[in-house]
Amino acid sequence: MNLQQVLPWRQETTRALELEELIDRHQSMVFSLAWRMTGDRGLAEEIAQDVLLELDRNLGKLTSEDHARFWLRRVTMHRATDALRRRQRREPGWEKGFWVELEERHGLAEPELDSPLGARVEALLAELPEAQRAALLLRYQEEMTPEEIAATLNSPVATVKSQLQRGLKRLRAKASQSLKEYVRGA
Amino acid sequence: MELDDLEPKELEELERKLRLALQRRPAPLGLKQRVLAQARQRRLEGRKVQQGRGWVLKRIAASVLLAAAFGGFAVYRQQEERRKGEAAREQVLTALRITNRTLDRVSDHLVDESK
Repeated sequence: MNLQQVLPWRQETTRALELEELIDRHQSMVFSLAWRMTGDRGLAEEIAQDVLLELDRNLGKLTSEDHARFWLRRVTMHRATDALRRRQRREPGWEKGFWVELEERHGLAEPELDSPLGARVEALLAELPEAQRAALLLRYQEEMTPEEIAATLNSPVATVKSQLQRGLKRLRAKASQSLKEYVRGA
Repeated sequence: MELDDLEPKELEELERKLRLALQRRPAPLGLKQRVLAQARQRRLEGRKVQQGRGWVLKRIAASVLLAAAFGGFAVYRQQEERRKGEAAREQVLTALRITNRTLDRVSDHLVDESK
């Protein structure tokens, strides 16, 4: 067997292993972002699958772990936002209360993971405008700074800060009674 | 911060609860396997397309070579015909020149005889 026959096989194996490792490290991040942006578990699975396949196509362009993470977050948020907008065009008013209805009627909540507060926060998040939801998710799920969020969403930093503030204010206003009880009672 | 009706401690607590509530959820079972299987399939299909493309390119190259060979032969034939034509023309001219000279000599001879 000559070198030319061996090398492509080795490159492919290395590449497959690299992809598998990246999926292991980042699939829950991708899925969680997609689910909380769309409020739809099935749609979130589709988005996560597309994004991870796209990752495979772009492996050669990613230069580091940080770069891969940045890329995944960016692509996931864009795909989720696009999916939301497509659905809203098809079914106006679809989004309002969808998350809560889905969880309550179809039992798709995961009881071992969901606290009442967690489920409530996710439901409230789904009622926010998508830009505020995106900013809050990246801030509190991904622990990103406003500057990092701005780079991911391709948005000015001042806009991101404003969305974070407004999003928090809205969350608080919508859930003022129940959240205050939790905050003060803790 | 615009949330001036919340005390800093309350805001801190709100953010803490948000972080807790928004911890990442595990990905669905089988997601990784599906992605890896599709990626593998796509690479296999890509290789087949490349091999197919290689075969087509080889056919095109062979056709171009054949066309060039035939074209070259046609040009050679054309040039050969032209050369033969030129040679034939030269022969005719030579024959005419010889005939002309002969006729001149005959004419001179007749003139001499008449004298």
